[in-house]
Amino acid sequence: MKIIKKILNSKAFVTLVWIAVIIVIWEICATRVAEVKRTPENVLPHLGGIVDSLTSDRKINGSQSALEMVLENAGATLSRAAIGYVIGIASGFVLALLMSLSGIIEKIAFPYLMLIQLIPILGMAPIINAITGDIAISRIVIAAILTFYPVAANTLAGFKSVRREAHELMYSYAANKFQLYTKTMIPACIPYFFTGLKISAPMAITASILVDTLQGGIGLGCLLSQSLKGAMTRYVFWDIVVFSAVIGILSFYLMGLIETLLCPYKRIGKKG
Amino acid sequence: MKFSKKTLAAVIAATMIVSAFSACSSAPASTTAAPAATTTAAAAETTAAGGETEAAATEAAPSSISDSDRIIAAAQAGKVGNWGLGNEYEIFALLTKYGQENKFLSQAFDMDGFDDNSITLASAMTYNELGLVQNSYEGGYGYGDTVGIIDMNNEGVAMLEDNLFTTKAFAEKNPNTVKAFISASMKGWEYACANPEEAAQIVFEAGSSVSSDHQAYMASEVKKLVETDTTGNAVKDYGKMDEAAMQQTLDLAKQYIKLDDSTAADKLQALTLDDIRSTSYWTDALAGSFGAPEKTDVSIQLKWLPQAQFMGYFVAKAKGFYDEVGLNVTIVSGGGDIGETTAVNNGTVDFGVTWVSNLISANAGGMDLLEIAQVYQRSGLVLVYKK
Amino acid sequence: MISVAAKVNKKRRNAVQSVVCPLIFGVALIAAWQTGLLHTLLNTDEYVLPYPTRIATIMSENSDKIMANVWASVEVAVLGLIFGSILGYLIAIFATVFPKYGSGGLTIVSAFNAIPIVALAPVIINWTKDVSSEAEVRSMVAKVIVVTVVSMASMSVNAYRGLTELPPFSDDLMKTYAAGRLTEFFKLRLPNSVPYIFTALRVSVPGSVISALVSEYFAEYITGVGRQIRENILIAQYSTAWAYIVTACIIGIVMYAVLMLIEAVALRKRR
Repeated sequence: MKIIKKILNSKAFVTLVWIAVIIVIWEICATRVAEVKRTPENVLPHLGGIVDSLTSDRKINGSQSALEMVLENAGATLSRAAIGYVIGIASGFVLALLMSLSGIIEKIAFPYLMLIQLIPILGMAPIINAITGDIAISRIVIAAILTFYPVAANTLAGFKSVRREAHELMYSYAANKFQLYTKTMIPACIPYFFTGLKISAPMAITASILVDTLQGGIGLGCLLSQSLKGAMTRYVFWDIVVFSAVIGILSFYLMGLIETLLCPYKRIGKKG
Repeated sequence: MKFSKKTLAAVIAATMIVSAFSACSSAPASTTAAPAATTTAAAAETTAAGGETEAAATEAAPSSISDSDRIIAAAQAGKVGNWGLGNEYEIFALLTKYGQENKFLSQAFDMDGFDDNSITLASAMTYNELGLVQNSYEGGYGYGDTVGIIDMNNEGVAMLEDNLFTTKAFAEKNPNTVKAFISASMKGWEYACANPEEAAQIVFEAGSSVSSDHQAYMASEVKKLVETDTTGNAVKDYGKMDEAAMQQTLDLAKQYIKLDDSTAADKLQALTLDDIRSTSYWTDALAGSFGAPEKTDVSIQLKWLPQAQFMGYFVAKAKGFYDEVGLNVTIVSGGGDIGETTAVNNGTVDFGVTWVSNLISANAGGMDLLEIAQVYQRSGLVLVYKK
Repeated sequence: MISVAAKVNKKRRNAVQSVVCPLIFGVALIAAWQTGLLHTLLNTDEYVLPYPTRIATIMSENSDKIMANVWASVEVAVLGLIFGSILGYLIAIFATVFPKYGSGGLTIVSAFNAIPIVALAPVIINWTKDVSSEAEVRSMVAKVIVVTVVSMASMSVNAYRGLTELPPFSDDLMKTYAAGRLTEFFKLRLPNSVPYIFTALRVSVPGSVISALVSEYFAEYITGVGRQIRENILIAQYSTAWAYIVTACIIGIVMYAVLMLIEAVALRKRR
């Protein structure tokens, strides 16, 4: 009895209930759609159909089934997203550090940092492509641009969160600037830094899919737009929608996991 | 009027969001979701029914409606569809011909809008969308011969489509590469048109995900566009740049490509055929008079996704025609926002396939592109309607 | 230690600096752009990156057309932002009242954020095909819903934090006052969540503009700044595309500035 109660109260169970609710609503709507539309898979297919399309070994192009195709393209997209993400994190962190070191840099950079968020980057993609001269590099660059703002903004907030007393204490220890940063500032900003990472992880993936659609080649976004343009069965499109949602959520939890593994404060917090 | 439409849109959006929210907000309330969903679906049915009565009305007198009446009726109702993004100029020319305003609905890349009557006169390429509308293989709508078409060639508003181009600078620097590429590509087209089924299979095996059935249909239709000119006569020389058809394309382009940039608009009006194409490379290529290519690794970006629309290049690659002239060719898929004109202009690829009208507007905008062969001899664009 | 006058002086100098510094940088950037220095640095040509004067000329020559497109985009962004924020806040309240199922629901809502908007927009446009026979109306409905979904997620997550992460002991204090749940909600939780609302809006205002632009790519009725950017890039009119890109940036900046203004007024008492 106790175990059942524990399961019923667990977080995972709650999430499962929600997923079940969504599935029920989806299926009800899909049934309606199937009755009124000639091509229901373009509007809302049954979930069973999506699962079927993933499990069937029918060849979509010359050599691959739907699942093989999605996985291969996902590999390309996710690796580009990961590279872009790492570059974005690194440049975001460095910029935040520079901004915290120098008031002038902060004043110059901060408004433009916000401005970058306001630029329709998809519209500028061909321009970035023309500048870099290589589609793969432009895709990585754009993913990096789209992810670095949350990291930079949150890390800067972290640096600013260091209390005046801590500063003064370090000062009284005659600590130099390097020590000040390694001993107090950087440890203090880590939780904020991870908040930035968690926000930007799913963004890196959606951004990467977005920029895939710019040109052909390999990638989830290319596959998605081909499927939308009727070049292959529409189920591939739905496969990708579901797949990207799942990966996006997983990436968020993955960052949380890394945070728990790397950061002592988190483990203590969990126990307490 | 304008304001009320927007208010209406806002109200509809708000009610839809609220009803969706009330459906999801609590788990037990999921039962109420069903009626909510049914009301919207019911509303959908009434509109669909409205559409059917309309369709029924048109069916009552099948052959008596002329094409011009059809065009005028659809234009007045605001139900002419096109994809836009540089594909719309022939439609503009047609609408102008019948005294209609140059407006169209943005058509998605499927034919759902045509299917559900939100678009009554839909754009279709003979080799692609038209096949999907008529045939009932996978992805098809199975209308068979219950649909009719209005052909741009017959209406005298045809503009030439798929060509082969590069930049002027590249052509001047690598004349032998250009000639070798044209020569092998046209050999590929000749073979593909002689064996469309085999060509379709080659494209499919090269990684296209268009189903085999549709690919075969596409190959047979593309063959017609490559081997027949706008007036319906057979063309023997693959890739020929027909002077009259090119001039008609340029004239229509000047009339219907509207550019906001006044500098570009002025440049467009001043363009002549010599600014956009050169026949000398093609003539030499067909005569076989060219030396060893200056650049051997070249790439070509297609206008769209890999499919039988571009079978000539896939065949030339698979059959080793490119190897014979000493070229190593990479075929890059198109269809994204980095267009083929941009990609060729910035040198990420060497050759491209585009519509002549797109090349014209690119040159007006400041690019220096050069057409070196005209693969499609007639317009493949039609407007499709339910009879 | 430091005299009050000096402090005020320093504050003033800081404020001046934070306006002047970015301004100087901006002017320098535009100067580098106009003189072609930027082109050399980025290894690009004036075709892909037209000079500011050329962009400005196009903008002034087409001001009527540009403004019509601006309004179309702004309406969608603002409506979607309002609906999405209200909806997100309601979800947050729901999650506060029913913590167990609510927080699970929040996870689901934030999952929407992981669906790329290029996938979301065409789906929603297909779903809203039947709401009106007027293409203009149904396109707008679809675009507004896309923006709503996008701005909902950040609001619900942030507002939930605002409604639940209360100052230490404030909860207990309310209990000692024997305050009911409603009183506690209106006197404690609601005011506490206000700064969090603005945190959410800072993310969702730029987000709403971008998603409005992207949803225009797929809409049936052709209008809006985003659609114009795409049209012009595809027909290789980079100068015109740049004019619309600049316009889109201005929309974003103005909306962000308005938000800052509202925030300054709303949070004045707290500072």
